[in-house]
Amino acid sequence: MKKELITLNINGDDIEIAVHPWRTLNEVLRDQLHLTGTKLGCGTGDCGACTVLLDDQSVSSCLTLAIEAEGHKITTIEGLAPEAATENDLENLTLDPIQESFIAKGAIQCGFCTPGMIMSGKFLLDHTPNPNEAEIRAGLSGNLCRCTGYNKIVDAIADAAEKISPTK
Amino acid sequence: MSLPQFTFLAPTSLSEACALLEKHQGKIKIKAGGTDMIVRLSHRAVKPDFLMTLKKIPDLNEISYTPDKGLKIGALALLREVEISPLILEQAPMLARAAHATATVQIRNMGTVMGNVCNASPSADNIPSLVAMNAIIVASSGKKEREIPIDEFFLGPGRSALQANEIAVAIKVPKLAANSGVSYQKISARSKVDIAAVNIGALITLNEEGKCKAVRISMGAVGPTPLRASLAEEFLLNKKITDETLAEAGRLAAEDASPISDVRASREYRKLMVEVMTTRALKEAAGFASQRVVKCKSS
Amino acid sequence: MSTDHNFSVVGKSLPRSDARIKAVGAAQYADDMFLPGMLHGKLLRSPVAHALIKSIDTSAAEALPGVKCVITGQDIPKIKYGNWRLVPESQDEYALAIDKVRFIGDEVAAVAAIDKDSAEEAIRLIKVEYEELPGAYSVEESLADKAPVIHDEYEQTTPNISLDRKIEYGDLDKVFAEADLVLDDVFTVHATSHAYMEPCSCLSEYDHDGRLTIWTSTQTPYFVQCLLASTMEMRENDIRVIKPFVGGGFGGKMEMRPWEFCSAFMARKLGRPVKFTLTREEELATGRRRHPMRIHSKVAFSKEGMLLGKEFNVHLDGGAYNSMGPTACFLCGNFGAMLYNYPNYRYYGAHVYTNKPPAGAMRGFGAPQALFVAETQMNVAAEKLGLDPVDIRLMNAMESGDEIPGVATISSCGFKESLIKVAEMTNWREKRKNLKPGQGLGLGCYSFISGGVFNWFNTRYNFTRAEVRAFEDGTVHLMTMASDIGQGCDTVLRQILAEELGLKVSDIRLTAADTAVTPQADLGTWGSRVTLMAGNAVRKAAQEIKEELFKMVSLKFDLNVIHDLRCGDGKIYPANRPDRAVSFGDAVKMAQRANRGEPIIGYGSYTPRNKGLVTPAFSFGAQVAECEVDKETGAVEVKFMTTAHDCGTPINPMSVEGQLEGSVHMGLGYALSEQFIMKEGKTLTTTFLDYKIPCAEDMPPGVSVHIDTYEADGPFGAKEAGEGLVSPTAPAIADAVYAATGYRCMDLPLTPQKVLASMKKV
Repeated sequence: MKKELITLNINGDDIEIAVHPWRTLNEVLRDQLHLTGTKLGCGTGDCGACTVLLDDQSVSSCLTLAIEAEGHKITTIEGLAPEAATENDLENLTLDPIQESFIAKGAIQCGFCTPGMIMSGKFLLDHTPNPNEAEIRAGLSGNLCRCTGYNKIVDAIADAAEKISPTK
Repeated sequence: MSLPQFTFLAPTSLSEACALLEKHQGKIKIKAGGTDMIVRLSHRAVKPDFLMTLKKIPDLNEISYTPDKGLKIGALALLREVEISPLILEQAPMLARAAHATATVQIRNMGTVMGNVCNASPSADNIPSLVAMNAIIVASSGKKEREIPIDEFFLGPGRSALQANEIAVAIKVPKLAANSGVSYQKISARSKVDIAAVNIGALITLNEEGKCKAVRISMGAVGPTPLRASLAEEFLLNKKITDETLAEAGRLAAEDASPISDVRASREYRKLMVEVMTTRALKEAAGFASQRVVKCKSS
Repeated sequence: MSTDHNFSVVGKSLPRSDARIKAVGAAQYADDMFLPGMLHGKLLRSPVAHALIKSIDTSAAEALPGVKCVITGQDIPKIKYGNWRLVPESQDEYALAIDKVRFIGDEVAAVAAIDKDSAEEAIRLIKVEYEELPGAYSVEESLADKAPVIHDEYEQTTPNISLDRKIEYGDLDKVFAEADLVLDDVFTVHATSHAYMEPCSCLSEYDHDGRLTIWTSTQTPYFVQCLLASTMEMRENDIRVIKPFVGGGFGGKMEMRPWEFCSAFMARKLGRPVKFTLTREEELATGRRRHPMRIHSKVAFSKEGMLLGKEFNVHLDGGAYNSMGPTACFLCGNFGAMLYNYPNYRYYGAHVYTNKPPAGAMRGFGAPQALFVAETQMNVAAEKLGLDPVDIRLMNAMESGDEIPGVATISSCGFKESLIKVAEMTNWREKRKNLKPGQGLGLGCYSFISGGVFNWFNTRYNFTRAEVRAFEDGTVHLMTMASDIGQGCDTVLRQILAEELGLKVSDIRLTAADTAVTPQADLGTWGSRVTLMAGNAVRKAAQEIKEELFKMVSLKFDLNVIHDLRCGDGKIYPANRPDRAVSFGDAVKMAQRANRGEPIIGYGSYTPRNKGLVTPAFSFGAQVAECEVDKETGAVEVKFMTTAHDCGTPINPMSVEGQLEGSVHMGLGYALSEQFIMKEGKTLTTTFLDYKIPCAEDMPPGVSVHIDTYEADGPFGAKEAGEGLVSPTAPAIADAVYAATGYRCMDLPLTPQKVLASMKKV
C-alpha cells in the first residue's frame, strides 16, 4: 500500500516524511527518524516510556498514528535540551530544569523510563507549577519505573518545580 | 507489534463520515482518541480494511450547558477536558471524577468520554455515572439524528445500539433535579491506576421528608452490559435513607449482579464489592442530595 | 558512612556518571541501534504447552517478499545449553525446539526480514503441526502418578524432578519431640515478573574477518559469549559481546536467550545485521519469572523463644527448563537457615519441571520465598509465646562470627542493631499497642549475599578482573567486564578507583562490558556480586599502579624507607610531608621514563577462595510496614515503610537509597498486586494493564537508615545493597495485615479477596 507524504513538526523542525497510515508516531520517531530518546516499553499505553508532548499535551506515542500527528507540535525528550544533540560536552551543558533535577536527585537508574517520566513531569509542571506530593504522584502515575520506587523521581519533580516557579 | 495494514479515512463532515460507514459496512472501524482501538488493532482483536478517524470533523468537541437542556458532551471531548471542565465540575462533578478515574494521564489526554462509552466495555469508567444520570446518546446518520436513552444503548460487550451508518455525536445529560445527588465508586483493589473490578454509579433524589423519591443505580463490570440494580432501586423508593436501608440496598444490588471470574477479580469478590460499593455510592449520593446542592469535590 | 574511615570520594552521593546522557535521551539501548542493511527478526512461539512437533512448513513464509531467512530447530546444531555448565546434564535447552515444545511460548522458529511488518507476517505464515501431549501445570500435577514426562532424559524414579539438594545438621527428630512450640505450616508463594522496563533486544553483526559482534541487553556478557560459542560451534574468541545501556535486569537477563542465538545465527548465515526486540506481551507471557514454591516448614522453639531447629521442605515450580532453578534451589536452602541461629536444620529442595514458562533468577534469588516463610513463622511464634517480635528475633539473631555449619561464617553483621534501630524509629512497642481498627504494624527481616562463591558456570578465569591504565595527564582508564544494567556499578567502580588513587571521578575514563576489549572475565551482574567482587579487583589494579608510582616519588624525594605514601587530590605525597607532593600525572610520566616508555598498567582480580559455600559477606536488615486495611473491600494500603539495613560502607549513599526504594517497590508488588494468572500453562496477564506493578501513587513514602559496619572482605568495607531488601517487605506487610485483620497470609499474593475470605465474607 502507498505511503503518504506528511510533514511532522518535531522539536521545532518541519520534517517531511513518507509513512504508511498504520505507522504509530513511536515507530516513525524511532525507526524512521532515529529519535530514539523516546522509548517503547509496552505498546499498549500502560507504561508511559513512549510519552511525548503533542501540542504540549502528554500522549502515548505508541497509540498515536503518525499521520494524525501532522499539523501538531511534537516535542520529544530530544527537544527539551536541543543543544544536547549537537554539543558533546554534556557535563557543562545546562539542561532543562527537570532533567537537571532528575540527575541531581538520583531519579535515574537504568534510565529507560526516564525520557517518558521527564515528559510527564514537563506536562505536569506546565499545568500545575507548584504541585503537592499527591499531585506529583498522580501526574506520574501513567509512567512505570521498576528501578527507583518512584520516591526520588517525586523528589526531582518537586525540586524542579521549585526551580521553575519558586514559592519563596 | 506493528499494526495491521488499513486504509485510513479522515472525513471532514459528519455526512461524509456516515456515508463512508455505510459504504464500507463490516470492513470499517472508527477511532476518536484511538487509545482503545490502536491496542485492539495491535493485538489483532479487530482487522478492519478501513480505519476512520473522527478527528477532522468540526464541532464535535463541545462541552456546553443550558439550564433547560442540561449538559452536552461532544464526541471528541477528551477525558482530560471533561476531568477539568469548570462546567462539568459544577453541573456533574461525578462525570469529572469518572473521567479522572480512567486510565493514565496520557490516555486521558488522547481518549474521549464518548470513545469509552461506545467501546461498551463492561468495566468502562465513564458509563455508570452516565447511566445513573439517565444520559442520552445522540446518534447521527449524517442526515438525521436520533436520541438513544443510555439504558437502551448497550447490547453486549463491545456492542451498542448504533446502526451501521450511525456515529454517536454527543452525550446529553439532563439537569439534575433538586434534592438530588450522584456518586461514582470504583474498586480495582490492586492499584490506584487500574481498570475497575467493579464500579457503581448512583443517583438519588430525596423528597421533603428525606425519603427516597427517585433512584438509579448502575453497576459496571458485573455483567455483559452495565446493569441496573432494579431490586435495590425498588426497595429504596419511598424509604427513609438510613444505614440499614442503604446496607439492604447494597445486598439487593449484589443479587442483581451477574459477574464472571476473570484475571481482575473473582465472581464472589465482585458480588461482595457490588454490595459494598453500592452502599457507599448511595450514601455519598444521598449526602449530596440532602445538602440540597449538586456540588461536590472531584476526588 | 563509617566514621573510622576518612574517605574523599567513597561515601559521597555523587550523581550517576551516566545520568546526564540518560536524561537527554541519548543513551543507546540495544533497540536504539541501527546498522546499514539491518534485518528485523521475529520468533515463532509454541501456542501449546506440551506437544511433539510433527512437521513445520516454512515455505509460505520464505516466499513472502522481504523475508531473507527462516530457521527452525532442524537448521541449527543440536547442542543444548544452560548456565550450569558445571553439571552438563542440567543443560536442557535448545535455542529452537527440535522435536518437542514444553511451554506456551517455547521458541519454534525464527525469521529475518527487511522490516518488522514482513517478519511478523512471515511468522504468521509458518505452519506447525503439533501432536499435543497431556500437560502438568503445577508441582502436584508433575509429581503425580503417571504424570506426563516433560524431559524424557529424566525418566527415572521421579521423572519431573530435575535435581534436588539436601542440607542437614544436628538432630531434628529429638528437637521436635522435646520442643515447647512446634509450628508446622505449608506456604505457597507465587511467580512474579522482573518487569524491567526495557524489553529484551539484541543486534548481531558478522564481519568479513569471521567475527560475530552482538550488542545485547544482558547482565552477563561473558555467559552470552561462552554459550553462543558452544551452541554455534564457534571459538569464544570469535565472538564479541557488547553490553550497551541496559534498561534493568533484576536477574531476568542473565542467560543466553534464543533471540540472541537466532540473531547471531542468521547474521552469520546472511552476512547482514539482524536485530530482535521482544514485545511486552512476549516478555510477560513467556519470559522468565520468580520461582513459585510450595514450602513446608516445621520450626521448633523453647518456651523462652529460643530457636531449636527447623525442617524446610521446598518444591520449586521450575517451569519447562532448568534455567537458574538449580541455584534458586541451592540458595533457598541457605536462606532457610539464615538470619537466626538454627542449631538443627534439615533442608530438602526439589526443582520440578512443569509445562509453564521457566522460572529463573530474580532479585533475591530464593531468599524472598524462604524469608517470607521464616519471617512469618517468627511472627507467629512471637505471638504464641507472648513475646515481642523484635525480642524473639534479638534472642536468636546471628552475629559476627556465627557459623552456619559447613556453609558459611558470618563476617560483618549489623542485624541486631538494625532491629533495635527500626523499632526505635517506628516507636514499635508503643505504636503496636495503640493501633486503631484497620491499622497494622508488621516486621520483616532479611539477609543477603554479596556475590556467590560457587562456580556453577565453571569459568576457568578469575571471577572478575580489572585493568587500569594510567596516563601522564593525570587520568586513568578503567576496563572491566562488570555490567551496569541500571544499578549504578559504572559509578560505584569509578568511586572506588578514584578513592584508591586519590583522583576525581571525572579523571576516570571507563570502558566496560565488551568481551573483546575488557579483561577476561567477569561473571556478570547477579547475586549482588559486583560492588564487592569487581570493587576488590579494581582496588587491586589501582594498588599495582600505586606501587609503580610510589617508587618514583620515593626516589624523587630520596625518602627514608619508613615513609608511608598517600594518594590524594590528584597527588602522591609522603603521609607526614604533604608538601612534598608530585602530581599523579607527573608520577606517571616519571615511571614511564624510568621504564623506557612502558605504559603504567595495573591488573587486579578477585576470586573468592575459602569463603564457605555461599558468599564472602552477608548483608542484613529489618523493616517495618505500616498498613491500613479497608475491612469492607479487603484493600490493603501501605502507609509507610521504615528500614534499617547494614550494607557495610555505602560507596554511594544516594545510589544505595535508590536501590532500597526500588526493592521496596518490587517487594510491595510481590506482596500485594503482581501475579501471573494462568490457565493450563497459558499466562493470561500479558499486559501492564493486568500485570500490575505498583505505580507512583501506590508507592508508600518511607525512610531508611544505614547501620554502620565495615566489611573486611569488601572494597572500603562495602557489601551487598538493594537486592536483599526485596525480601522483608512481603512478610512485614503480611504481618501488618494480620495485626489489622487477624488474617495470617501463608499464600502469596495477599489479595483483597483473601483478606475478606478470612473474615468469611467471600
